[in-house]
Amino acid sequence: MAETLEKPVVIDVQHIAKQFRVYEDGSATMKEKILFRARRKYEVHPVLRDISFQVRKGEALGLIGVNGSGKSTTLKVLTRILYPDSGTLKMTGRVSSLLELGAGFHPDLSGRENIYINASVFGLSRKEIDRRLQGIIDFSELEAFIDTPVRTYSSGMFMRLAFAVAVNVDADILLIDEILAVGDAGFQAKCFQKMQEIKAGGTTIVIVSHNLNQIEQICERTIWIDGGYIRKEGRPRDVHPQYLAFMAEKELANRAADAPEDEERTGTGEARMEKITVLDGEGKERKTFTPWEPITVRIDYTAEKELPGAAAAVSLYRGDTYLFSADTLADTAEPLKLRTKGALELCIDNLPAAGGVYTLDLALRRSDGLEYDHIRRAAEIAIAESAQAGGIFSLKRSWRHTD
Amino acid sequence: MERIGDTLKEIWAYRMMVRSLVHKDLRGRYQASVLGFLWTFIVPLCQLLVYTVVFSVILRSQMEKFYLYLFVALIPWNFFSACLTTGSGCILYQGSLVNKIYFPREVVPIAYVTSAFVNMCYCGVVVFAVCLISGVRFTFAGLLCLPLVMLEQYMFVLGVTMITSSVNVYFRDLEHILTILSMAWMFMTPIMYDMSMVPEKLQPLFRLNPMTGYIMSYRDILYWGTVPDAGRLAISGAVGFLVMAAGFAVFGRLKRRFSEVM
Repeated sequence: MAETLEKPVVIDVQHIAKQFRVYEDGSATMKEKILFRARRKYEVHPVLRDISFQVRKGEALGLIGVNGSGKSTTLKVLTRILYPDSGTLKMTGRVSSLLELGAGFHPDLSGRENIYINASVFGLSRKEIDRRLQGIIDFSELEAFIDTPVRTYSSGMFMRLAFAVAVNVDADILLIDEILAVGDAGFQAKCFQKMQEIKAGGTTIVIVSHNLNQIEQICERTIWIDGGYIRKEGRPRDVHPQYLAFMAEKELANRAADAPEDEERTGTGEARMEKITVLDGEGKERKTFTPWEPITVRIDYTAEKELPGAAAAVSLYRGDTYLFSADTLADTAEPLKLRTKGALELCIDNLPAAGGVYTLDLALRRSDGLEYDHIRRAAEIAIAESAQAGGIFSLKRSWRHTD
Repeated sequence: MERIGDTLKEIWAYRMMVRSLVHKDLRGRYQASVLGFLWTFIVPLCQLLVYTVVFSVILRSQMEKFYLYLFVALIPWNFFSACLTTGSGCILYQGSLVNKIYFPREVVPIAYVTSAFVNMCYCGVVVFAVCLISGVRFTFAGLLCLPLVMLEQYMFVLGVTMITSSVNVYFRDLEHILTILSMAWMFMTPIMYDMSMVPEKLQPLFRLNPMTGYIMSYRDILYWGTVPDAGRLAISGAVGFLVMAAGFAVFGRLKRRFSEVM
C-alpha cells in the first residue's frame, strides 16, 4: 500500500458534473428551431453531480453502479468523448479505450490493413504499428487469414483481431467498458491473462463492469457510483457486499411496489397473523442476508379464542418454484395450541440459498386442514451473494486438484 | 492561441489516422468492384465524353475546345462540391468512432477532404493527358503555380467542410440545404461560361465567390497556358487561409457536444 502511495497520480478527477438535455420529441428540425424556438421543451437530466477521485500509476480501478447511475458517463468523460459541464480532469500519458472493439474496421479490406486502420485510431504512428504488427497477429492467432478481407471472418475471429489490436497499443491508461467476454473460453482466458500482464507492466486500468468477479480479480479499488455521486470507495471485497445488499434491497422495493393490492389472504379469521418479521441471528429485523446465515421468521398472532388443535406452516419460494416447507405438525408430531395472543418463531440455522429474492407463504390452520389465516407472499427476503456461477443452492464447497 | 497550438500538435500526432482513413476510403471504395481502382479514371473520362458530345454537337459553343475549357474547371469543382454536400455528413457517418473513441475530431473532416483531394489529383492525371493530347502549351511558371492553387483551394474546402460538418451534427437539415446550394453555386461560378459573359455590373459580385478565383487560376494554367494573376493568387490564398482558420475555430467550439446529440 505504501508503495502505491508514492506513485504519481495519472488520473485526477475533481468535482466533475455533467447534465444531459433530454428533448421531449427527439432531435430538432429546422421548422422547430425557427418557429418554436421558445416552445421547445427539454428536461435537464443531471447524470454526474459531483465526482472526484484520483488514480495512481499502475493502479486498477473498478467502477460499479446500477444502470443509469453514471458509471459509463464517468468513463466517457475519462475517454474525453464527453466534456464535463464543470470540474476538471487531468490525465497523464497515452489513453487507450476498449469501449468499442474494431473501431474503423472496413469489411472489404484485409486483416493486416485493418490492423493499421484500427491502431491508427488509437493514435499510433506508422512506425509504432510496424513494430507491433507481428505481436498483434500472433496474439489474434489469425496468421493464416491475415491477408483476407475481414468480411470473411467469423464474428469470433473479428473480435479476436480487434481485441489483439486494442491490448497491444501499450497505453499508459487503459479504459475498459464491459468487454472482457470475447471469443471462446480459451481466448477469454488469454485476454484475462493479458490484462494481468498489462497491469503488471505498469499500465493504469479503469474498468466499468457489472461483473463484480472480474473487478475483484483485476482491481485493488472499487468506486460505487449512485445517482451521480460516489457512494462508496474502497477495496472491492469491502464495497461489493454493500453494493450487493443495496441491489437486493432495491429489488425488494421494486417488488413491493409491483405487488398486487390483494395479498391473497384466505382463511376463516378465527386466528390472524398480525405481524410477520424476519430476524437475523442477533434478533434484529433484516431483509437482506448472505448465504448460510441463521434466519428467524417471527409470527405475532391473535385468536378469537384458544385453539388447541392448530398447526402453523412456513413455505419458501423462489418465483413460482416451491423450495421448502416447515410445518409444526410434521416437525413436532403434535398439535399446536394457539392462545388468544402469542408469537411463533421458526428458527432456521442456516439457509443454503444462492443469491436472489425469496418469498415466504405463512399459514395458521386447524390440524385437519381448515385454514384460519393463510397469507401468500407474506414476506420477502433477499440473499446477496457475489461469487457463484448460478443456481438456487449455495453449497459449502471446495475444489481439489490431483493427478 | 495556446489551445489552437495544442490541437494542431495533437492532429499531427494522429496523422497516421488521417492517412488510414484516406487509405480506407480510397481503397475501400472500389475494393469490391471488378474494375476497382480504374473507376477513378473512368468516371472523369466518361464525364468528359458526355460534355464533348453535348457541347460540340448540340450546344455548340464559340469557345475553342470547349470540352477542355469545361473539363479543367469541372474537376476542381467536383472536389469542392463533393465536400460541400456529402462532406457535411462526415462526422455523422463516423458516428460509431466519434461516440466510442477519443481522437482529435478534426481528423474526420481533414481525412474526408484529403481523400477527395487525392481523388482530384488522380483525375488530374486524366486532365493532364487530355490537355497534352489537345495541344495545350503549358508555361513552366504556370505549372509551378499549380500546386499553390491546389493548396489554396484545399484550405478553402477544408474550412468550409469543417464548418458544415460540425454544424450539421446539430442541424441536420443543412445537408439537404447544401445539396441545393451546391447546384446554385455551380451556376454562380464561371464553369460552363466565361467571366467575360457575366454582365459588367454583376462582375464584382461574382468575384466575391472564392471558387471563381480558384477556377480562373486553374483555367489560366491548364487551358490558356498562362501564369495566373499574382494579385488574384494572393487574394485566393488569403481567403483560403481565413476560411480554414474560421473552420478550425467553429469546429473547435462545436466539437465538444458531438457525442451528446449523435
